[in-house]
Amino acid sequence: MKEALGVIELVIFPGFLFLSWLALYFEWVDRKFYAKLQYRYGPLHTGPKGFLQPFADFVKLLAKEDIVPAAVDRFLFTLTPIMMLALSFYALFYIPIVPIVRDVAFGAFEGDLILVIFVLTIIGFLKFLAGWGSTNRFSAVGAVRTAFQLLGYEIPLAVALLTAAMGAGTLNISLIAQKISTDAILASALLPALAISVICFQAELERIPFDIPEAEQEIVAGWLTEFSGRRLALFRFATDVELTLAAALMAALFLGGPYGPAIPVIPVQVSYFLWFMFKTTVLVLVLANIRTLFARLRIDQMVHFSWRYLIVAAVAEAVFIQALLAMGVIA
Amino acid sequence: MLEESERAIFEVPIGPQHPALKEPILLLFKIEGDTIVDVMARPAYTHRGVEKATEARNYIQNIYLCERVCGICSCIHTLVYTQGVEKLADVEPPPRAKYIRVIMSELERIHSHTLWLGVAAHELGFDTLFYYVWRDRELVMDLLELISGNRVNYAMSTVGGVRRDISDAVAHQIKKGMEILRKRLDVYTEVVEKEPTLRKRVIDVGKLSPHDAVALCAVGPTLRMTGVKRDVRADDPYQAYDEIPFNVATYDTGDVLAQIIVRVVETYEAANIIDYAIDHMPSGPIKVKVPWNIAPNEIITRGEAPRGELFYYFKSNGTEKPERVKIRTPTLGNIPAVCEMLKGYHIAEIPIVFAGIDPCLSCTARFAFIDERKGKSWVWSGDQLRTYRRKYYKRYGR
Amino acid sequence: MAMESELAGAAVRKPVTLKYPFERRDVPPRFRGRLAWDAEKCVGCGMCVQVCPAFALEMVGKGPMAELRYYLNRCVFCSQCVESCPRDALSMTEEYELADYKHKVYEFKRG
Ligand code: SF4
Ligand code: SF4
Repeated sequence: MKEALGVIELVIFPGFLFLSWLALYFEWVDRKFYAKLQYRYGPLHTGPKGFLQPFADFVKLLAKEDIVPAAVDRFLFTLTPIMMLALSFYALFYIPIVPIVRDVAFGAFEGDLILVIFVLTIIGFLKFLAGWGSTNRFSAVGAVRTAFQLLGYEIPLAVALLTAAMGAGTLNISLIAQKISTDAILASALLPALAISVICFQAELERIPFDIPEAEQEIVAGWLTEFSGRRLALFRFATDVELTLAAALMAALFLGGPYGPAIPVIPVQVSYFLWFMFKTTVLVLVLANIRTLFARLRIDQMVHFSWRYLIVAAVAEAVFIQALLAMGVIA
Repeated sequence: MLEESERAIFEVPIGPQHPALKEPILLLFKIEGDTIVDVMARPAYTHRGVEKATEARNYIQNIYLCERVCGICSCIHTLVYTQGVEKLADVEPPPRAKYIRVIMSELERIHSHTLWLGVAAHELGFDTLFYYVWRDRELVMDLLELISGNRVNYAMSTVGGVRRDISDAVAHQIKKGMEILRKRLDVYTEVVEKEPTLRKRVIDVGKLSPHDAVALCAVGPTLRMTGVKRDVRADDPYQAYDEIPFNVATYDTGDVLAQIIVRVVETYEAANIIDYAIDHMPSGPIKVKVPWNIAPNEIITRGEAPRGELFYYFKSNGTEKPERVKIRTPTLGNIPAVCEMLKGYHIAEIPIVFAGIDPCLSCTARFAFIDERKGKSWVWSGDQLRTYRRKYYKRYGR
Repeated sequence: MAMESELAGAAVRKPVTLKYPFERRDVPPRFRGRLAWDAEKCVGCGMCVQVCPAFALEMVGKGPMAELRYYLNRCVFCSQCVESCPRDALSMTEEYELADYKHKVYEFKRG
């Protein structure tokens, strides 16, 4: 029985199928809200209110011609899209989404936060490799920008995420989430860290104002320029999964993830689901709102900004949490 | 300083097809690290032979041909064209027609400048501003549609006057529209003043000194943003501009921010001009008759298009068709200046600096050949073109 | 962040996009659409053919009973022919959805 449930948890709910649905759902929310704020409709005709549009886009790209230019590094060109998708999914299994077998995430262990941070860095690095392997000039410029951007956001992101672990006293994401959901003081003390990680994830996901590596007007599609057809579909889908990962991770570390005050009458698993969807959707809306507010920065301005302000803020927040711990305000 | 061959210089071609460019032009950049060392521009991708085609059409037909030199400045092109033909035939349009022409060309300036502001925001990756500005631009487009019937090619000026009158009801609506427009412009001025990410990208970017601007024959807002006060409307008033008071907008920093400010101020000014022109519009006929054949004559004429000075040269030969028409559009004048503006900046700044001159390339292409290696330049005549065409089709088939 | 207050307005208002084939704008009063010809009034003077910048009109026959051929795909909707016609035999309709795969030629016939 336990094994069967485990397989279900891996494959169907909240496994691959549910996560794929979730990724497309978040893309839809993101696009729809972004359009709404700009007096547009966004996706409209495929499915109710265009809900199936991201899926239709994915299928359409799969059917398109997949061109491999003669000069590219074939190995990297094939490997990077698959790896990026696989790694984004992989990291999601360490994050509590809707736990059904145990009360924690599918792959939870002490120290999984470090693993997830590591995977996030690898994903950034894969983008660099994808661009570099394309040997296109625009891709090369995009790849270099990705690498620079990684230098910019990686440290504040890691510090901000680890601050949550510091506050909760564990490196297990599920346990952190459980602790946060019951400790309002800790949760509110961690809000600055949440803000920092929202900004850093905006950079990780390459969205305005940090869409520098794929700045359309400057370098066509940046590191993505040479990809088409299936590979582009995989990359786009991987980006959606990465968005899911970002939203789920922030929800777990700072907002308590699926754990929250029990909702009367309904079973606990359903309340997990509702809490999770509510928190992550709000986070995606915040990310989409940030996207509408700014002009794109230049790469040096971005690195400058993150080293001068973000890192300082992240470290200050960590010190603040340590001080609270030392004073015994939070346990 | 290393020798050219030792430095790591690589070439990045922007165009002829590139997402930042709305029209085809090739900008070949020599880039060292992330810094632009040199630019080579090649604009002639959209040669349509407009000047040649004018010689095969009569003066009436040519109005609509010249209107289509550019899609955005369709009013100023007909205005300067008809003004030229009137000069050629030595007739004077009635005063009311002059005022209507001014109102139309100022409405067009508003629509062109707001369009530019949107495009500039888009080039900076600020899509929200782009959508908002373009939404409010519809206001002016609707007014233009109300006056002329269509959105893009207004077909308002004709030789000897204008084709449609502006009734009092429409005039009232225009004034109301200008009120709303001013309020919306206030909002965008505030955004430009306050939004830090936007300001970071435009301040001290794409600088041009007044000296260079004059030396490189920059025109229009590209010249005025360096502080040089030069505007055909004020310096060589045409139509009713000598009766209408207005300020020539200038700014002195000469960067992209200055371009934005000059254009926004000009939009405010245009709204004022329109209000004034409506209040002071004389009554009377809107059109006079002009002879079908025009006696031999040769003139030049010009006007201030949204992008700068627009210049027409005419030669008539006593028939109903012109002997020669030469058009010099403002973008052509601004290309040497933009090449200078780009030097020393980063790849990331190419789109905004290039978009800064509000390039309109469809009007730019002229048929001159320059062979860099041999240092020769020549221009093809119509006959040579025809021979070339015949050979080309024989070789490649139809 | 300067646009946040503007965005708040967008969140509650309807998008400005028109869902085109389902929603249409009103055509402005002076709109220039497809050309129409009134056989009763035309005297076959050929003025319209002479002024058409796009060579979109052609006379079929000669004299007062001449008929017109109208090449829709060439017409640039300038309405110069309408203005130049001494008998007001031509007018512009409000039709604007004229895109087609075929070259449309209208034979304006008498009777
Ligand atoms: S509207 Fe213009 S282009 Fe069309 S037929 Fe009349 S004159 Fe010719
Ligand atoms: S100008 Fe008018 S009257 Fe003359 S041929 Fe044309 S339609 Fe007929």
